[in-house]
Amino acid sequence: MNECIENTGFRPRIAAFFCNWCTYGGADLAGVNRLQYPADFRVVRLPCTGRMNPEFVLHAFRQGADGVWVSGCHPGDCHYIAGNMYARRRFTMLKELLEYAGLDPGRLHFSWISSAEAEKFQRTAKDVIEAVRALGPVDAADAATKTMVMELRKVI
Amino acid sequence: MKARAEKIREIAKRLLQEGRVDVVIGYTRGSSPMREQPFFARTPEQADQLTWSSFCVGNTAKSLVQAARAGERAGVVAQGCASRNVAGLIVEKQVDRDKVVVIGVPCLGMVDFRKVEAQIARSEGRRVETVEEDGEELVVRGRGFEKRLKRKELLRDNCFTCQHRNPVLADELAAEPTAETGGGDIDKVAAPWEKFPAADRWARFRETFQDCIRCYACRDACPLCYCKTCFVDDARPQWLGKTQDMTDIASFHLMRAFHCAGRCTDCGACESACPQGLKMRRLTSKIEKDIRELYGYSAGMDVQAVPPMASFRPDDSDDFIKQGGEQ
Amino acid sequence: MITAYKILGKNAFEGFFGSLAQGREVYAPAQKSGKIVWAPMLVAADVDWRLDNTDMSPKEFFFPQSECLMRFKNAGGEDGRVMVPVAPLATQRVLLNIRPCDAKAFRLLDRIFVQDDMTNDPYWRDKREKTILIGQGCANPCPECFCTSTGCGPFHEEGLDILLTDLGDRLLVKPISGKGQALVKDLPEAAPGDIDLAGRIMAASEAAVNRYPGFEPKKLAGHTVLDIYELPLWSSLYETCLNCGTCTFVCPTCHCFDIQDEVKGEAGRRVRNWDTCMQRLFTEHASGHNPRGEKRDRVRQRFMHKFTYIPMRRDGELGCVGCGRCVRFCPTNIDVREVVRRMGEDAEAKSK
Repeated sequence: MNECIENTGFRPRIAAFFCNWCTYGGADLAGVNRLQYPADFRVVRLPCTGRMNPEFVLHAFRQGADGVWVSGCHPGDCHYIAGNMYARRRFTMLKELLEYAGLDPGRLHFSWISSAEAEKFQRTAKDVIEAVRALGPVDAADAATKTMVMELRKVI
Repeated sequence: MKARAEKIREIAKRLLQEGRVDVVIGYTRGSSPMREQPFFARTPEQADQLTWSSFCVGNTAKSLVQAARAGERAGVVAQGCASRNVAGLIVEKQVDRDKVVVIGVPCLGMVDFRKVEAQIARSEGRRVETVEEDGEELVVRGRGFEKRLKRKELLRDNCFTCQHRNPVLADELAAEPTAETGGGDIDKVAAPWEKFPAADRWARFRETFQDCIRCYACRDACPLCYCKTCFVDDARPQWLGKTQDMTDIASFHLMRAFHCAGRCTDCGACESACPQGLKMRRLTSKIEKDIRELYGYSAGMDVQAVPPMASFRPDDSDDFIKQGGEQ
Repeated sequence: MITAYKILGKNAFEGFFGSLAQGREVYAPAQKSGKIVWAPMLVAADVDWRLDNTDMSPKEFFFPQSECLMRFKNAGGEDGRVMVPVAPLATQRVLLNIRPCDAKAFRLLDRIFVQDDMTNDPYWRDKREKTILIGQGCANPCPECFCTSTGCGPFHEEGLDILLTDLGDRLLVKPISGKGQALVKDLPEAAPGDIDLAGRIMAASEAAVNRYPGFEPKKLAGHTVLDIYELPLWSSLYETCLNCGTCTFVCPTCHCFDIQDEVKGEAGRRVRNWDTCMQRLFTEHASGHNPRGEKRDRVRQRFMHKFTYIPMRRDGELGCVGCGRCVRFCPTNIDVREVVRRMGEDAEAKSK
């Protein structure tokens, strides 16, 4: 954990998809409050988690992400009323499907974080990063044991 | 089977004579053993070519969207699973209920040609030349041999565990209703990789899909796949490549399975169409099982239903979603 | 020169296999999960003489489904962009028990890939030159075969280095090319009785193929392209086609491909992948116009390309070798034999 903050050891690369109205605001608030967490994810801002497309998740792994984190408004608080409600079912099916095919559960994370929850954001960020970091770097493409995340990566 | 075929012909002829439909979508005798051809009958004379057998392994609902887009009123010969797909297409507004006449066929299951071939010892240079149905037996003949096999033992995997053999909506019926299920327990065979530890599942996936040649026959045989531009052809961004890399193969199958969530009726047309004999239902059965268990929904049972992936409940489970309170 | 037929007892095959495998990789058909596939033969005992033709054609050996043509990267500075070609094939190969239809298909494809100075595909050429084809004549043709309708046959020699005939406990060996002669020069000569037996097997086999439904290519000749192009047959045939492309993928003569650059950051590679005229996007132009945007046009194209356009440009040689795989694997049982028969009959009827 501390290893992460101290910038030593393996730094995972995590693709984060945040909804504009809630989680993105929460992340921003965390920043304004100078709440510290490892800078190990890159954010893609969506209008709503309802915009989340399962292809985005696969694409992130294809491009080399070690983990994916999707976060949006709490159900009931969606700026577009029910976008996150539809998303919730899609997330359930997607997570079940990918883990059924062999994805490490620690690589795909979902959360509901509102724009006021700066500390929750910090805590969740640290949890997600630590979960992915603990899985270690993904083996190179020619390793003997093939894992799903390794083979989802496009190798040129 | 012969009785069903005769009744189908009779009904189709009548529908075409009365002008109730422009075309009847069904099957006709195939030129290869063990495979019947989809057939579009447009006149009462052509209706005489319709048939029904244990080798009608496609899904007639596939052609309905084509007919609907051409503005035709269509009769469709459909057993349990195909009729559920017809209902599904009505739910998804791809087809008008009043432009379809369903000729329902209570189904006795379809035979998997690969299972027949496995009994015939291909390595001894034997090839199946004709297959005749004789009650509960199949008479398989080739050069220098004849074998009688039990039809029930050669059914397709999905037919063993079929939950709805009778058509769910039918304007006409080609036979008396039959036993509703195929006898097998779907819960015992669905999602087979669940019993493996997480670390072994990818190896199972790999083994199942590594021979895929990306011909997309599975997609093209599937009545759910009617998008004008399939996600595999998206270019900006390009979600998956056209190579044989495992990432490209896996992305196709994972995404297609996902797109079929809440819509797949386990008709098996995908597996029957695959030239490499891939057992892709090992993947799709997981989706179908989750939809049943999480949302209590079976695709295509009710034209008024709202599909689970297009709806939600305020109390849908989200245990796996971090609420921010974890320490 | 009279061909010196040789004889090889199956109990002596191990020695011959040993010499074949010297410095070469040997492949032959093998069974794998209910399919017949091309597999490497590590020892003589791996070879199964009685298998039929493989499910997928052997064109992958010369034209892989996905092939990297070169790699490149931005080297920065004066070096600019560096392109590195892919290494040629490292070892020689032998395709053992290839069927005459597949060997003839390679000859057809040679005329596409290496037809003249301007079209000289180094990737194809390299692999072709390093591979020996030892064919086995088909004693047991499959019900889907129609090689005799396409100018081929179960014991056709075009494209082979050696032709084997299975006589039970021994193989009749007919060297055809120089490479083939060199490989079998030390084998004992065959007795006239063996040669006769092989001749009878061949005749029986050809008769068997002729009993299965085929067509007469002559019926297609003598009609203009437009005569066939405008047949009403196409307007009904296309309906049941799924446009899946399975036929093009299993076909030994289909050769269309798509080239794409896959780039990641500062490096990339150029990849050639099989493509199929059955897909709508195959002919979509950058402008958005698509000359074969309708399924009817694509289905018509497939049959006319193989049975009208190619023979027009190749002195009557059809673009099909009659292997029967498309008949076997088409999910909607669109039977090429039936289609070509109808093309010929309908065109004749129209011209009367």
